[in-house]
Amino acid sequence: MIDWSYFPLRILPRLQAHPAMRSIRHQPRIWRDTSNFTSIDYGDIILVDNRYFLVVGYTREGRFGIDDQPKQWVPKVHDLETGESNILKLVFHETYSIKFGELEVKCYRSPEKEARVIDLVRGNPAFMQGYTVLDDADNLVRILDVVPGKRLDTYLQQLGGTHRQYFEEHMLGALERFLVSVRAISMLHSHGLKHGDIRRDHIFVNRDDGSFLWIDFDYDFYLPERPYAMDLLGLGNVLLYIVGRQNFRPQDVLQHPEMGEKVFSSLRVEDMALLARDRVFNLKKLYPYIPARLNDILLHFSAGTSVIYDTVDEFHDELAACVASLRRQTAVRVTGLTASPGPFP
Amino acid sequence: MDDWHRFLIAIDKSETSMRAVRYLGQMVRGLAEKHICLLHVYPEPPPDFYIKGGRLDRYQMLREQRADQFIQEATIVLEGMGINGRDISQRICMAEGRTISQMVLDIRKEGKFGTVVTGKRGVSKAEEFLFGSISNALARHSRDFTAWIVG
Repeated sequence: MIDWSYFPLRILPRLQAHPAMRSIRHQPRIWRDTSNFTSIDYGDIILVDNRYFLVVGYTREGRFGIDDQPKQWVPKVHDLETGESNILKLVFHETYSIKFGELEVKCYRSPEKEARVIDLVRGNPAFMQGYTVLDDADNLVRILDVVPGKRLDTYLQQLGGTHRQYFEEHMLGALERFLVSVRAISMLHSHGLKHGDIRRDHIFVNRDDGSFLWIDFDYDFYLPERPYAMDLLGLGNVLLYIVGRQNFRPQDVLQHPEMGEKVFSSLRVEDMALLARDRVFNLKKLYPYIPARLNDILLHFSAGTSVIYDTVDEFHDELAACVASLRRQTAVRVTGLTASPGPFP
Repeated sequence: MDDWHRFLIAIDKSETSMRAVRYLGQMVRGLAEKHICLLHVYPEPPPDFYIKGGRLDRYQMLREQRADQFIQEATIVLEGMGINGRDISQRICMAEGRTISQMVLDIRKEGKFGTVVTGKRGVSKAEEFLFGSISNALARHSRDFTAWIVG
């Protein structure tokens, strides 16, 4: 039996009515210090910023190919006064290395950095929103709004149709929205901050207006001479996914009914990713109708490149010019108006 | 264009750096007027440094002690090549809020060095993408000064 006298009156109606209270077998605890987050259970309450947050679940995340794991330091919560749903991020410092062949980059989870980013991007629709408070043990707790929408890769998959149909009907719109996301990253860099974990599932597509927004800023890297290299790499990977709507490893090409051995045998090491060498960046070999100018941007992230992007601005400017050109060509195709020859073969 | 007789050489403890020092010595020892600044720039500590209880003053002291060793060795090499110690200066500093190459470029500008010298490690494109290349950065930004990249 739950002893309700333990809780303030103002939260009791929502607490007693919440389905979580029907299934728990322990007296819910109120946590003012979140240091030991692994002990905070479903049905417990986190009290920060004078707000009572009922823990109703955990967010999950997996690296691709690995089952999603619950993130105990990122509980889904229910505000027991307002009824609002939020996500809390509790302090969890971890360090690990990402390997690209023989190259290794040290990665840090940094609540401090994420708090700075959240503060900087307040009101900017290209980023998830929230604010940061200290709990009773001075841990930085980030209180985040729930993003109404779905992750970019899921969104792109659900557009349906063949790649050709996607390319002709949806890709340009996705690229235009992605450009806004790229500018948002450039803005972070101009303030000396990184996103830190740019991946296709860290862009959400807003359910209301289709705009893209970034989530999850708590990773940091130690790359003193190229502090933004990992962000740049992530942007290249996201662009690859938007253009190809999937990542192709050589084996995927071989097994693809419309590509098979012929396309597979045309692949060279220069066509593969610059660092990991695991996926095909030369998408024109897979989909010959991809404009050369767009493919050339991807090739800057390939093993065969002789020139790498120095900054996100350089990447943005080339992509923006390419998208504008594609938009002009689409307009010509749709309206039938003649225009000067486009740059695309 | 700043005074090309003023040489800024960015070094670390590598053999490539020492090769650059010897090259510079060979090139300038016949010059009547010259100034050489031996420079070492080191990065800020990693993001988890303070969380682990690290102290910046201690980090800087250790980095500067280590750098002082190879800066002194380089000075001895130059003096051994007949360059007067009065024509050599030394500087060790941390790239605070900047990349190492930006720091070198800022010091060049502020000291009106017309020639910047550095060794070239020879990195792959993948390494350059992740870790950067001081020599490539210097070559790319060599406006108003001359860059000598010693392989």
